[in-house]
Amino acid sequence: MSDASEHVDPPSLRGLPRWLRPGSAEAGEPRRTRLIETTLLVLAGLLLALATVNDVARQTHVNQRLIADLRTWRTYTGHDYHNLSIDQALLGETSRREVICGNTSPGPPKARTQICLVIYGPIVDGHRAVHGGWYLPAEVEDERAYRYACFGPASLGRCAR
Amino acid sequence: MPPARRRGLATVLALLLIAATAEIVLDGAVGHSALIPKSPDIAGWLAGIGERLGYRVFLIAILVFTAAYAGLILLCGRTSPDGISKRWAIVLVGVLQAMVFAGPILLSTDVFSYIAYARMGVEHGINPYLHGPVAIANDPVYRYVGHDWRHVPTAYGPLYTLLSYPLAPLGLKGALWGMKLEALLASVATLALTWRCACARGLDAVRALIVVGANPLYLIYGLGGAHNDLIMLALMMAAVGFTFADRDAAAGAAVVAGTLVKATVAVLLPFMILSRRRLATIAGAVGAIALAALIGYAAFGIHGIDLVAALNRDAAFVSTDSFATEIAHLFGKPGVFPVDHDLLKVALVLIVLHLLWRTWRGYDWVAASGWTLLAVSVTSTWLLAWYTLWPLPLAVVTRDRRLLAATLFIQALFIIHQTSPLFAPVQ
Repeated sequence: MSDASEHVDPPSLRGLPRWLRPGSAEAGEPRRTRLIETTLLVLAGLLLALATVNDVARQTHVNQRLIADLRTWRTYTGHDYHNLSIDQALLGETSRREVICGNTSPGPPKARTQICLVIYGPIVDGHRAVHGGWYLPAEVEDERAYRYACFGPASLGRCAR
Repeated sequence: MPPARRRGLATVLALLLIAATAEIVLDGAVGHSALIPKSPDIAGWLAGIGERLGYRVFLIAILVFTAAYAGLILLCGRTSPDGISKRWAIVLVGVLQAMVFAGPILLSTDVFSYIAYARMGVEHGINPYLHGPVAIANDPVYRYVGHDWRHVPTAYGPLYTLLSYPLAPLGLKGALWGMKLEALLASVATLALTWRCACARGLDAVRALIVVGANPLYLIYGLGGAHNDLIMLALMMAAVGFTFADRDAAAGAAVVAGTLVKATVAVLLPFMILSRRRLATIAGAVGAIALAALIGYAAFGIHGIDLVAALNRDAAFVSTDSFATEIAHLFGKPGVFPVDHDLLKVALVLIVLHLLWRTWRGYDWVAASGWTLLAVSVTSTWLLAWYTLWPLPLAVVTRDRRLLAATLFIQALFIIHQTSPLFAPVQ
């Protein structure tokens, strides 16, 4: 095995400032550089660890909210269905307002007429408040053009018909 | 601790690794799980033993695996050569790899994209560098391709695309097994080359084998998903091995070959050139680029050799697991904004410039390459589990222990980030 220490650098490089001259062996590694690098690495590691733990806590809270939303949908409709779709973006990514859609009768996901509920507010007894909603025909995505029979204040202006 | 007791502890940890892998593979074989992509039935013969793989069981298995892996690495550092023998380590890693190979595709639909691109070229005469899999919507593989990738042309290099072409006529199941076999062979090659490089540098090869071969992300995510990153890693370690054997032209050519599988590995080349300071490295790389450009252009046209466009496109994606997204959330932002992409690119450029200067001044080029690959994955807004594998084989063949510590730390954070369903399972 060979390394850079075996090479002789051309004399032209000797005119370079000392910090720019080619080095030849790891043994000559400046301790100060290594110390600065290690310090920066530790700081970056702390930031990443903090961000990760914060994100796990944040996601756990989101999950708790979604559990309450799913439970609310099941209680409101009286259907114990598990294939429900959750839209967290429709009413704003950070709004904590969710739209939960599911079938109104048994069948594969989106294969029947669907009911969508707009849910937000604090969790009370494992549920959140329903503030409105709409219906969708079978086999369609939740787009304004397909919505009908809007109900409740949160659905104002969200139905095309 | 006496050697016999150390060996006993190592055996217990190895059994935990095997048990956790068996749990994931056997439960995964049942299918009908959000963790197992919809797939042709290739592991049905295992399906009668386990139960449907849920998040809770998967996460507990991964955490047990990770804890046992960490214990084994600590034991390796202290006991080798009298504690963990060469044969013991090879058998353990071999058993783990064989178990994952025999099971279903885990955690990712990427392998179906690979097959779709191959079938586009071979069965349908469509250039996969111009069209996404949607162009073959009537092909049996199409329904298995991930929704996000159906309109996306291939981002992989022409060498990988050509390697995948012979598998296209084998049918869906045949191609799937072909992809799994390719991934297994690439994994074995990576481990063998890592072993050889560790020996060449006078480092503990047994420890190197266990750190890479029994790594939870390498095994469950990388090999389990039959990702082509393993082929890239094999070529990367071949390049490192060639430089250790003073075969600089071959080393330069191997880096280029790896780049033609997945462009990320190109970052090795400037460090290799700066450190080795030999014309042969450049000559080897230029020769390989010329040959590859010729073949790539003949097979796929100009788009087949335009790797920069593919990289730019992928750099714009954002995943929830990326550290950029996590930091955005930490500062109260909903996600990553365009300006954040620019800031991350500036940070990456500064890191690379510093590492180039350090390499010029005599720092180990292998470690510098590993740091760069780690920086690429950490600053990427599109982070997937197998991206954190890139620096791992380099980290075990360098004397700078900080690189291995940092790589394993990043991997640990990635695993921790997956655990929120344990605290609040949504059903």
